[in-house]
Amino acid sequence: MENIIELEQVTRKFTQGERTFTALKNVGLGVRKGEYVAVVGKSGSGKSTLLNLITGIDHPSSGHVRVNGTDIHDLSESELARWRGRNIGIVFQFFQLIPTLTIIENILLAMEFVNIVPKNERRNHARTLLEMVSIVDHANKFPAALSGGEQQRAAIARALANDPDILVADEPTGNLDSTTAASVRAVFSELVTRGTTVVVVTHEEVDQQKFDQVITLQDGEITHFNFGDPGDERHGKCL
Amino acid sequence: MPMIFKKSLRDMMIHNRSTLVAILALTIGLWGVGTLMVSLHIMTNDLDENYSQTSPAHISVRSKDFNRLNIEELRKNPNIMAAEIRDKSILRVEVRPDEWLPLWLYSVDDFERLSLGKFFPQNGSYPPPEGTIVIERNNLLVSEFDIGSNARVQSRGSIVRTEISGVIFDPGQAPSTQDAIIYGYTDQANYSRISRRPAGQRLIIRFADAHSKQDVIVKFDELSKEMARMGIRIDRFKIPKFDEHPHQFQLNTLLYLNGVIGLLAFVMAMALISQLMNSIFARQIRQIGIMKAIGATRWHIFASYTARVLVISFFSISIGLPLAIVTGQAYSAFVASIINFDVLTTQLPPAIYIVITTLGFVLPLLFSLPALLKGTRISVNDALGDYGITVNESAVLNRVTSFTGSKILSLSVKNVGRRKGRMIVTMATMALGVAIFLTGFDVRASLSDFLDNNSRSMKYDIKVVLGEKLPSEIAMSPFTDIEAIKSIEGWIGGIGRVQSGVASTASGIGLVVAPFDTGLKDYDLIQGAWLTGSQELEFVVNQKAAVSFEPLVIGQRYPIAVGNTEVFAKLVGVVREFDVAKIYLDLTRYNELVNPDKKINSLMISLKDRSYENVIKVKKEIERIIVETGTSVLYVESQAERAVIIFEHLNIILMVIVFLSLLVLVVASMGMGSAMGINVMERTREIGVLRAIGATPETIVQLFVVEGFIISVLSVAAGLVLALPMSSLAAQFFGVLILGENTPLDFSFSEIGFFITLIVTLLFGYIASRVPAKKATRVSVREAIAYE
Ligand SMILES: Nc1ncnc2c1ncn2[C@@H]1O[C@H](COP(=O)(O)OP(=O)(O)O)[C@@H](O)[C@H]1O
Ligand SMILES: [Mg+2]
Repeated sequence: MENIIELEQVTRKFTQGERTFTALKNVGLGVRKGEYVAVVGKSGSGKSTLLNLITGIDHPSSGHVRVNGTDIHDLSESELARWRGRNIGIVFQFFQLIPTLTIIENILLAMEFVNIVPKNERRNHARTLLEMVSIVDHANKFPAALSGGEQQRAAIARALANDPDILVADEPTGNLDSTTAASVRAVFSELVTRGTTVVVVTHEEVDQQKFDQVITLQDGEITHFNFGDPGDERHGKCL
Repeated sequence: MPMIFKKSLRDMMIHNRSTLVAILALTIGLWGVGTLMVSLHIMTNDLDENYSQTSPAHISVRSKDFNRLNIEELRKNPNIMAAEIRDKSILRVEVRPDEWLPLWLYSVDDFERLSLGKFFPQNGSYPPPEGTIVIERNNLLVSEFDIGSNARVQSRGSIVRTEISGVIFDPGQAPSTQDAIIYGYTDQANYSRISRRPAGQRLIIRFADAHSKQDVIVKFDELSKEMARMGIRIDRFKIPKFDEHPHQFQLNTLLYLNGVIGLLAFVMAMALISQLMNSIFARQIRQIGIMKAIGATRWHIFASYTARVLVISFFSISIGLPLAIVTGQAYSAFVASIINFDVLTTQLPPAIYIVITTLGFVLPLLFSLPALLKGTRISVNDALGDYGITVNESAVLNRVTSFTGSKILSLSVKNVGRRKGRMIVTMATMALGVAIFLTGFDVRASLSDFLDNNSRSMKYDIKVVLGEKLPSEIAMSPFTDIEAIKSIEGWIGGIGRVQSGVASTASGIGLVVAPFDTGLKDYDLIQGAWLTGSQELEFVVNQKAAVSFEPLVIGQRYPIAVGNTEVFAKLVGVVREFDVAKIYLDLTRYNELVNPDKKINSLMISLKDRSYENVIKVKKEIERIIVETGTSVLYVESQAERAVIIFEHLNIILMVIVFLSLLVLVVASMGMGSAMGINVMERTREIGVLRAIGATPETIVQLFVVEGFIISVLSVAAGLVLALPMSSLAAQFFGVLILGENTPLDFSFSEIGFFITLIVTLLFGYIASRVPAKKATRVSVREAIAYE
């Protein structure tokens, strides 16, 4: 089966002044279409860096990143922006909705940037997405009027605005209380059942059973792959 | 509307303060430049228009033989565009009880058909009925005259009455509000009756194809030869400045000032805009990151922020343009009233609207382009990460640990140094504002010092210039009984001529003959020495006269014509004064040469009590005696009043300087306010931390106020340094403009100006730092710490 996300020998070094710091060392991994993947590790272990490489927000110092059939190093900055808008939805830990636009306008903005959803369908599509994350009643409110969990769900709806194949989320529940966090996680599970590939980064303990893959990072290196399906043929092969 | 623009608009509304500041700054800038353009257009156009529609004379010629001249024939001469008999007598007229002003009385050949030196009827009768005169409209402002007034004119000692039957407008004359001269126009018969002189002895001419004073001289040379052949003996002639309004210098200065300061205001407005755009981006960096992460290209970002600039431009133009037109017109009208001309422009050319609008749209965009490009280019990673954009934690903590007790000053000093680029821009703008403001005061001080010196150098209080030369005892006798008088000296004033190398002062030059050791005047020597009283005939010139010497060599002998006598005299020095071109000779030598009867025509009177009130009182007394004794007098002038008149000439200019430079300082402080705003915003988190460890809001505010204070003090220091060369340049410029070539004013430092500047700058700095800091402390500690 084709990998929708594939990293080969990826290293990311940061230079700050004289010092060079290696945030990711020789990382390789593969994610299949429709999988639900968790990336776990302590703070500073390189999770966000890994995610940024997948979304093309950041570029590897060496190695290859292939996402949805595209070698993303080959894209220019604007091509990358457009490609990302079409293929990947991103959810951050905090501050991500544009505060001066209403919830529905935030979603319409994302559609406007990418411009693949026809204009006359945008509003309906946005409402459908808001229904899916159960905040359609808040469509015309500004972000500040919503609770943290509602804002996070709005952000997920926006990440899905252009029907991306992949959704990535960097500690999406880090800021939320446990009930709200659960409601957000429920949305991810729902997406996975609809066929979206979902990669979630978290520094919390995860329920291994719910994920197709759990990747553990430590000091920039992958230490474990756990597959939800114990019989997965990739077991033990990917390091 | 696309969401991206909706966002821009809402952002602007949310951050309404910085939006308003931006609009305000740009409005002021456009207003400045617009006013400049509008007034420049109106004034240059209209003063020219006013003046040239009078078809000014190129020369006036006096002769007693014009009865031999056929004017009709003369007009047929292809070199001559127009010629007319226009006698002129300088008499005196009582404008208020015991207050007399010079009356320039003109005879007019045909009021209905003026061909040059034209004037225009305004009110009352025109042409003036027999036995009456019409006066210039500006005269009404300096006298109690009205249509129907019966004026008392003093003419060669006796009083003649004439009715004022109308008012005309003569744009060619210096405004009497400034020069205190009454201009009267009447027919030849009435002219003779009033002036007690025959008419038909002064001819005014405008040549065809004359483009410079030199052309005029050449053409007149030809004409005078022709006249000589006709047996016409020319007594005197006078060539005024070529086609230039007598107060053109004032207009030039006002325009120049308006120009410099309008442009500076605009430049500063631009600096402010670019700073505001920087601040907008600093605030929006995370949002830009998010938008890029969800698919926005650089173009989207660029368009959305460009839209903001355009909206700012749009509002600023909508306010600034009409404002500029109104003030440009008002300013022109103000200048017009000073110089006594009419604003003729009713419709401005479309180019002005187009240029201002274009400037308003293009320049702010251009100036915010660096910020725009930087903001749109930033990568998502940089925008969202903590690296390189916000201050890193350990630096904050370092500063926090140093914040123990009252270390506010050292902390503020470090903060000023933190954002070097921005602070440099802020300080540079402030310093420039300070420098201009100071320069305004310094120039004012230079001018008033000059005037003080000038009037201090005149030790006489009242000067009476007689209508004819008299032996000095006879001339002085009517006044010797006045109690208040300390002393009277008899001088001679007249017209002389200097032949200096190439150019001759053909039109005549003021001649002042005084005892070389007179106690009544201290001269401000700029070259050589004062008259020494040596046996050899010496002379001194003032800076205006010095211009006609090429080359000017102290110690060299030049031919001087005094009346009809030509003599050689040694040039010993050059003095500086606010006056027309003059040469000075020693009375004893002069008498020996050409004045055996020792006649004089000027009485230089000094008073025991030199106060303004007393001078005016004694002057009135002198005027009464003149009328009673029937003394023929050209004019009576008091130093005190003269100083006031000169100051009036200059004060208008000074007022404009100081007002406009204040405007520049205001714009500069707005820049500082916005820079402070960015500072405070960037440090919201730090403020939170400081407050969490116990700093009160007042301490925080103090921190920023001290920072603003440091910036203000540094700006004043830099501005002071910058003001020195600027002031000395400006002093030079004004010297040349007002006093003539090669006559810089001495540079004076205005202490009062310095203190005002210091206080104003500190005050503005205080406001500019306190307001944003105050706002920041209203954010709760929790929010501040969570601020990203
Ligand atoms: N732009 C950057 N410049 C320098 N160092 C960075 C940068 N981004 C991340 N790092 C460093 O790389 C390491 C991994 O960071 P990150 O991927 O954010 O960790 P995590 O998300 O797992 O907490 C950290 O030690 C961090 O300091
Ligand atoms: Mg992280």
